[in-house]
Amino acid sequence: MKYSLNIVHLYPGEMNIYGDRGNVTALVKRLEWRGIAAKVTEVGIGDSYDLSKADIIFAGGGQDKGQIAVGRDLKKRTKSLREAAESGAVMLVICGSYQLFGKYFQPQQGSRIEGIGLFAASTTATPIRMIGNVVIKTAQGELVGFENHSGQTTLEPGQAPLGQTIRGNGNNGQTGDEGAVYQNVFGTYLHGSLLPKNPVFTDNLLTLALKRKYPDFDGLRPLDDELENQAASVAKKRPQ
Amino acid sequence: MPYLLTIWVAKLAGRVSQLFGRGEGATLPGYLAEDMRPQLLAELGHQIGGDIILITGTNGKTTTTKMVREVLEASGQRVLNNQDGSNLARGVLSTLIAATDWRSRIGLASAVLEVDEAALPAVATALRPRLIVVLNLFRDQLDRYGELDTTAELIGQAIKRSRADVLLNADDPLVASLARYTDKRARIRYFGVEAEYDGGLMHDHTADSTHDPLTGEPLQYQRVYFGHLGHYKTRSGRLKRPRPDVAVAEIKRLSAQGSKSIVKVGKQNLELKLTLPGLYNLYNALAAVAVSACLELDSQLTLDVLSITQPAFGRVETLDYRGRRLQLLLIKNPTGFNQVIQTFLLRNQQPVAFLINDNFADGRDVSWLWDAAIEDLPAKGQYWVGGLRAADMALRLKYADRPLQGRTDASLRQLLDEMVASTRPSELIYIVPTYTAMLELRRFVGAGRSRVVA
Repeated sequence: MKYSLNIVHLYPGEMNIYGDRGNVTALVKRLEWRGIAAKVTEVGIGDSYDLSKADIIFAGGGQDKGQIAVGRDLKKRTKSLREAAESGAVMLVICGSYQLFGKYFQPQQGSRIEGIGLFAASTTATPIRMIGNVVIKTAQGELVGFENHSGQTTLEPGQAPLGQTIRGNGNNGQTGDEGAVYQNVFGTYLHGSLLPKNPVFTDNLLTLALKRKYPDFDGLRPLDDELENQAASVAKKRPQ
Repeated sequence: MPYLLTIWVAKLAGRVSQLFGRGEGATLPGYLAEDMRPQLLAELGHQIGGDIILITGTNGKTTTTKMVREVLEASGQRVLNNQDGSNLARGVLSTLIAATDWRSRIGLASAVLEVDEAALPAVATALRPRLIVVLNLFRDQLDRYGELDTTAELIGQAIKRSRADVLLNADDPLVASLARYTDKRARIRYFGVEAEYDGGLMHDHTADSTHDPLTGEPLQYQRVYFGHLGHYKTRSGRLKRPRPDVAVAEIKRLSAQGSKSIVKVGKQNLELKLTLPGLYNLYNALAAVAVSACLELDSQLTLDVLSITQPAFGRVETLDYRGRRLQLLLIKNPTGFNQVIQTFLLRNQQPVAFLINDNFADGRDVSWLWDAAIEDLPAKGQYWVGGLRAADMALRLKYADRPLQGRTDASLRQLLDEMVASTRPSELIYIVPTYTAMLELRRFVGAGRSRVVA
């Protein structure tokens, strides 16, 4: 049986300044090394694409100013993204994209940018920048990454976070939570890039997508993750 | 504290710390003086009889400042510069203090100073320069600056408050749009590349400025040189690349060995030959030619000086270690990394060591490695890693299907010795370090030289 996944990289040109592209690289390579084909389609502002065809959707972080145009475009895709989320499509959204998957982002100057409301959360920009190495504890084990955001995200009661911070600020530096999860949609502030140093989480995302598409899929064969674990271990010990 | 006393104390402190061999001797005078007499920078700036030129931007400040200094010296001027010091406010202040004579005055001189983007507002306000040069704005150490737009705004404030003339890179949309901060009476000039060039990378993902900084409207590119440098406009037409006053009209030859191009200055078409490698240095030289034109210096003299310019500290320097030549290719951000790859490594057969640190001066976040075009490296190359984040670099190579030699936890000595063991004498080894890794390597090799076994 030849397996394959369609990966959609949203806004690769506009949301691309934190090395988040490495997440797509990680997904593609970890499939390839198991003999599974990955087709990556880049979808930018104004590009039409039937999101119901996507098995995994990824969007990265960008500058606050770039979010105005991205927010407007994302709003037009609200219905198809909601449908995809309800049907169990796997999504990973980082930083600025994570914020736009909430209800709104309020920048320091200018008017509120509407989000698509997949997460019951909202973000407000502040003069304080939350920057540094982060370790969080999740249901899927520890994740290690690097945060850099002036937005403080507040989760509404009932909205599940991605995890709890062991090191770092997380969503707002106060409530101790980081990121958000809804169905198979994962939002987070973690750069790094996130997935390369967190192979267990990466494989979980891939497995979710593969099982959804191929109900008889019996699991990914393990890879040698010694280097990934080494890099994660080093990152965990670096100063804030 | 009174003027004279401040200068004496600062100078004395500088000498004493130099005697103890402390590296910070370069900025200690400024550090002290800043506190003792805050207005000193402005007072010293006032005494500078010649032109004050401040050069800022993400990549190329040091090289371009060196080029401009050499051009001014060749035309007979005494030039103050912070070549050996730091580009922060206290570094600039230390440079000016060191330039005072026995009467604590600065005689007739010009000043060409490299200034860190975040330090520019304070320095420009104090010194009231004739010209502010902005070379480019790439993402660099986002963990230090927060965002690219913020950095641009800081530079804009400096331009506004100092009311200086500006020289801007037309090919960089974020830089070109800084023109809106200039004083009504200030002159705005641009430099840029017009030539056709198709030597770009296949995996260049370093366009850091992709939208109109004022409206957020996406930019469309008719031509890309590297990163986000090129010919651009918004669909609405609100933002369009300005026409450069000084331009590279034709590129005849461009490689790791240098370049030959035709530069248009006013009505003249002149040949520019550089020994410095790559497109990024061609941009630096072009900026220097444009500065020279702003100051109405002789263009031919300028080009002659540039043709013999050597690399600045730590950039493309060659060191000797146990009979091997180590060529240092400093990297600070993904754009610079890509330029190094494009210029030196695309068809390279020599061993390459990537030394990645994440100290404060390097930038704590290593995410940028994932935007570098590692997939463009030759598949069968010899790649080594070192530095504090060697494991991250090794991981990057792994996900680019590039083979790794050696370990991720070797010390600098072990790494170099292993590379020496795998190469023949007089072979060239490329070292691609981040900033503090470069400093560490230079210290180590400097110490090693005296113990070389020929």
